[in-house]
Amino acid sequence: MGRILCATRGGEASYRAQDAAIALALERGDELIFVYVVNTRFLERTARAVRPDVVAEEMAHMGGFLLTMAQERALAQGVTAETWIRYGELGSELIEAAIEEGIDTVVLGRPAGGEGAFLPPELEALATEIREKARVEVRVI
Amino acid sequence: MKPSKQRHSNGGPRLRRLWPVLFLLVVVAAVLIRLHSAAPASAAHRSAVVGRVIDPQGQPVARASAQILLNGASDPIAEATTQRDGTFILDLPTDDRPDSARVVITHPHFHPYSWEAARSDLEHLRAGYTVRLPDIALQRRLSAGFWVATLTFAGMLVLIATERLHSAMAALLGVAVVLGVSLVGQPFSEGLFILDFERAIEHVDFDVIFLVMGMMIIVGTIEQTGIFQWMAYQAYRLSRGRVWLLATILMLLTSVASALLDNVTTMLLVTPITLQIALTLGIDPLSLLVPEILASNVGGVSTLIGTPTNVLIGSYADITFNDFLGNLTPGVLIIQATLTLYVLLVYRRQYRKASAAASDALLARLEENARITQPDKLRKAGAIFLVVLALFVLGEQIHLVPAVTAILGAVAILLAVRADIQEMLLVVDWTTLMFFIALFIVVGAIQEVGLVSYIAAGINDLVRGNLLAATLVTLWATGLLSAAIPTIPLTAALLPVAGFLTSNLPAAGNKVLYYSLSLGASLGGNASLIGAANNMVCSGICDQAGYPITYQGFLKVGLPATLLTLTVGTLWLLIRF
Repeated sequence: MGRILCATRGGEASYRAQDAAIALALERGDELIFVYVVNTRFLERTARAVRPDVVAEEMAHMGGFLLTMAQERALAQGVTAETWIRYGELGSELIEAAIEEGIDTVVLGRPAGGEGAFLPPELEALATEIREKARVEVRVI
Repeated sequence: MKPSKQRHSNGGPRLRRLWPVLFLLVVVAAVLIRLHSAAPASAAHRSAVVGRVIDPQGQPVARASAQILLNGASDPIAEATTQRDGTFILDLPTDDRPDSARVVITHPHFHPYSWEAARSDLEHLRAGYTVRLPDIALQRRLSAGFWVATLTFAGMLVLIATERLHSAMAALLGVAVVLGVSLVGQPFSEGLFILDFERAIEHVDFDVIFLVMGMMIIVGTIEQTGIFQWMAYQAYRLSRGRVWLLATILMLLTSVASALLDNVTTMLLVTPITLQIALTLGIDPLSLLVPEILASNVGGVSTLIGTPTNVLIGSYADITFNDFLGNLTPGVLIIQATLTLYVLLVYRRQYRKASAAASDALLARLEENARITQPDKLRKAGAIFLVVLALFVLGEQIHLVPAVTAILGAVAILLAVRADIQEMLLVVDWTTLMFFIALFIVVGAIQEVGLVSYIAAGINDLVRGNLLAATLVTLWATGLLSAAIPTIPLTAALLPVAGFLTSNLPAAGNKVLYYSLSLGASLGGNASLIGAANNMVCSGICDQAGYPITYQGFLKVGLPATLLTLTVGTLWLLIRF
């Protein structure tokens, strides 16, 4: 049995990726894990900032809520999913998680508005990086 | 990036480590009190020439050189430097009986001025009396330093607005340029001088620095307790699925929190929980979050401590906490009510979509995420915060300036919660304090070279001495400029302009122009996504949650809200003043 790691946030764009990961897990009989990566880098854009660790904690709560929604979505389709919260840059965290946890497939969702025929360049670069460094299958939905 | 765990150590050593910082804070408070209570020194003099140097707008010119030359000599017999109020005293030796006397005033940013003593003046001096000169108005000159300072300030604004550099770094770069050019350039050309280090430091408003620092410690302690999240959750419970009511309460909550604490802190802490509440109700989170941003920018303007711009304005114009309460808070309540109606109208369809379809697991998680995490700390910090608020209100009766109140509150909170000093160092945003210090110096540089005077004179010509026109220009120009230009440097640069107009326009002594500046700077933050720091941090969190706020999407709601609130703000100022 393989392991599928689906990076998720919230919103319509994430639901598509979640559904695709759920379908893949059902088809292969793989274990499904939803992961939310807390990144507080946006705080650097403002001169005045709250303690980054306090913000990170609140965002982790929010991530936990979004992951519970994803978990319920999977359960409704007959898949029991696990959830993880990680802290840092999305790319490096996914690579690290994939290597450490023996992941076989990473599922990434396109950002809202990026549903065209071509992948947004940053997402394509991210997928390539994960593929090369973690040596796993990467599916962009 | 991982949240740090709270350290658990016994209170004794922690308290001991805290003492040096507490001592420092108390000393600072004592120095500030001393500075504010010190009586101006008086000077006694005989056989002297005294005068006051002003610029073309009638503002005092500090640090001009005054010399007196007797009997046609080329070397001065006495020299002095003008004080902050532009005055100087040239004491003459008692044994000198001059046949002629000439006073020469020089300043790097003005044309030199010379005054010849008339026969009657000479007789006065010979008799050992003091000759008082009429006010000396120096004429500005556009030196190379003027252009360097102007371009440096403009460059700093561009770097901050385009996020090419962190605001603190951009301001420090500005300081390096103006001081570097002054120091290195002056030996080659006198015109390159802008200001020296001593003068630069005089431009730093330490009342602002210590008020901001004290409030950072107070807010930093409260923000860890979960009170914001708990209150947002109570709003959700109270509204019982009626989203219009929820939106109204959340806007009010955000507005009040922004008025008493800080807009950015408020938005950083209420955004994640609001997002969860919206998802629980099955509505677009942005339909609650964008109204919260709008309310935050409106609420912040109502008190002295609500926004950094109000802190700047209060300190510069000597506007107290109570002045803000009396002159702006009622107006802000009216603006807030108007804004709420606007929001309910704009999002009415979205609010009707609400459903109570959330699972028990989601509801349980929401409740868990909204609990008060440190009740003991909240009790202590909350009680002290209430005392601090009371002192802000009552302080002016006992000459307690807000900076001292904030420092005293910070010390009390540090002692009460037995804070770990490392944690407290994290609470203070040192980059913001550095930004303020550097900003004061760069703005001081454009004041020195006369840019602010030129702008002020231009506005004065535009409004032709009409206070109403000046009020409208200040409010609307600041409001619209705030949509694109970072508010804090904009306000810092416009403060001396408002100061000039206040002292020159008839009936402007009620400080209406400062209140216009305050309203414009805060309300203008709603016009665009980059208009205020709290807009951007909320947008950052929404992005992380998969609900990005687009620039156009925000503009569609925010710009009409800005125009509406500026209109109501105008009406309020007309009624109040």
